Amino acid sequence: MPLHDVGYRAWKGLPRPSGAAGVIASTGIRLAWKSRWLRRVMLFAWSPALMFAGGFFAFEQAIEEGAIGAGRNATRRLDSFGMIGNLVATSLGGQLEDPEAARRTVWSRLLLAFMRAPQAVLLAVVVGLVAPKLIAGDLRARAWLVYFTRPVSRVDYILGKVGVLAAIVTLITLLPAVVLWLVGVLVSPSLSVAAATWDLPLRVIGAAAAVTVPTVLLALAYSSLTAESRIATFAWFATWLACWIAHGALTGADAAASARTRGTAAIAVDPFDDSSPAFMPRTSPRLSWLARAAGIDNTVDRWAWLSLYHAQGVVQAWIFGIEKRLAVVLPSLASLLAVTVGSILVLLVRVDAPARA
Amino acid sequence: MTEPGIDTLPVRLDGVEKRYGRRLVLDRVSLEIPPGITGLVGPNGAGKSTLVRAILGLVRLAAGRVQVLGLDPAVSPRQVRQLIGVVPEDDASIPGLSGVEMVQYAARLSGLPATEALRRAHEVLDWCDAGQERYRGVETLSVGMRQKVAFAAAIVHDPQIVILDEPTNGLDPLERRAMLGRLVALARDHGKTILISTHVLRDVQSICDRVTLLVRGRVRLAGSIADLTGTADRDLRLRATGPLDALVKRLGARGIPARLADTGGAVLLHAAEPTAFVAVWEEVGRAGVEAWALEPERRPLEDVFLAALQAADEADAQRGSHASA
Repeated sequence: MPLHDVGYRAWKGLPRPSGAAGVIASTGIRLAWKSRWLRRVMLFAWSPALMFAGGFFAFEQAIEEGAIGAGRNATRRLDSFGMIGNLVATSLGGQLEDPEAARRTVWSRLLLAFMRAPQAVLLAVVVGLVAPKLIAGDLRARAWLVYFTRPVSRVDYILGKVGVLAAIVTLITLLPAVVLWLVGVLVSPSLSVAAATWDLPLRVIGAAAAVTVPTVLLALAYSSLTAESRIATFAWFATWLACWIAHGALTGADAAASARTRGTAAIAVDPFDDSSPAFMPRTSPRLSWLARAAGIDNTVDRWAWLSLYHAQGVVQAWIFGIEKRLAVVLPSLASLLAVTVGSILVLLVRVDAPARA
Repeated sequence: MTEPGIDTLPVRLDGVEKRYGRRLVLDRVSLEIPPGITGLVGPNGAGKSTLVRAILGLVRLAAGRVQVLGLDPAVSPRQVRQLIGVVPEDDASIPGLSGVEMVQYAARLSGLPATEALRRAHEVLDWCDAGQERYRGVETLSVGMRQKVAFAAAIVHDPQIVILDEPTNGLDPLERRAMLGRLVALARDHGKTILISTHVLRDVQSICDRVTLLVRGRVRLAGSIADLTGTADRDLRLRATGPLDALVKRLGARGIPARLADTGGAVLLHAAEPTAFVAVWEEVGRAGVEAWALEPERRPLEDVFLAALQAADEADAQRGSHASA
């Protein structure tokens, strides 16, 4: 008999069942965080931020040293940071004569590049590690009985599971991007830069949401379709890979067709007939990957809507104000919306299906 | 204690019908579950689990109405589930949580604040005699301990109604007795309404006030255990040790029909009037028998159950032959 057994006593408190989603999310995060693999990947996911912080520093250093701006001094461009900053600005399409305009463009493109190139790929990996177990694990352990025999609705349950993934995704996309902006402000000549670029953190939130919402919901929808988390994991990575391959194949086919018809080198077809020189490659080979990720050197990607990664990139570029043509954005936006709505419908039907059977 | 609805009857089902496709799982079930312990028995596939789901508002009914303390689960599922605690038959747990974390989690899902949930989880686990095993992961716990954790999770928010599906499954005799004792304490000392869905008729007979037999989705039998298992002739059972056959002869000589019980250790007195008690006690003394209980004879619930099942089969067969004719 336990020392402190006081027998059964009635509980006189007032229940507050409205916070079930928060309870599910916080417990899910705690359980997910027990995975050593996840902790390692999360730690690794922050490492690209260091490199991009270097980009911010180099650019601000270039402005400080006069390597960018009307009064730039050719002799000072020999300074290494100034040169790198200049290179970054050139790569990212900054208007070098006006430091303020260059700052906005370069920061936006750096943030977009950061969120697209390393973080979106890492996000796919992290979500693939965590999401499949979230609902499939509950189905396997019959944990749905724990939830749906209590005052927990389907929406609470879905929101709770989304909360788990959203927290993790926020930690590897939104948070480091906001930290990068802060770093930019701190290494800039004046704190007034924060006021001049106040909208960038908001755009970062929007861009993170564009990634998080469809990605997380799709991963959870897969997880809800099976009690075997391995199958959900496979479906998740297979989808990313298949979409990527399909996008690459179709874009390549377009490029080949374009080369045949125009007799030029492999330049992707622009279905919107946008032949502005602004879309011609103009980046040094050293930073061409950064330019590509930042939305430069791209003609209209008419197959972006096919691939989650590319569709998210187009929408993010739109959110950062880099892609302004609605005709380019709409197919990708519609694709992400379709994924989101479809996933929500699957989740609503599937999550409490065993309880209703 | 019964605040939520106007109806003071904990659970009321009225003409409830549930179909899965063309299969009729609940066929016009009308049932009242009063405070106390009610046993829900029936063969596999009788519709017991569906009935429980109907009470929880988890399934959409084809017809009929369910009321839980005056609330309709289809309209107010959250409120209804706040009033109910469920111990599922199958192991249902969150892998990665310890026993106490599991109970605390259940409490928080039911709306208890975090610290209060932890305090309450320890309190009910203490009452369930969970010991230090509560700190082990739920997936590593023994069957008995998992059952304790599931029970603690069901009652942690102090529900007015507790529904248990095979609560003594996998428990050793000591644990089984302890579990049944807890149920009796909840019902008698704390006024809870308890519904036990089980195949173990011995458990039902030992602790339930009422029993409902469900066969092929229909209620075939419902009533108090005393009424259902009592003999029509008010037979008595005299539990005793010593020369019982001599006692039977002596009672026969006094005009009191008696025979030895098949189980041994008892004499059955047929249709004994209270006026005959004095004569019985006199003969007990004379025969040198040591008597320690005189109680109404009860038919085993199993006999009642089997008879009702047979009657249900016959009724269905008759209905089938009428339909084909």
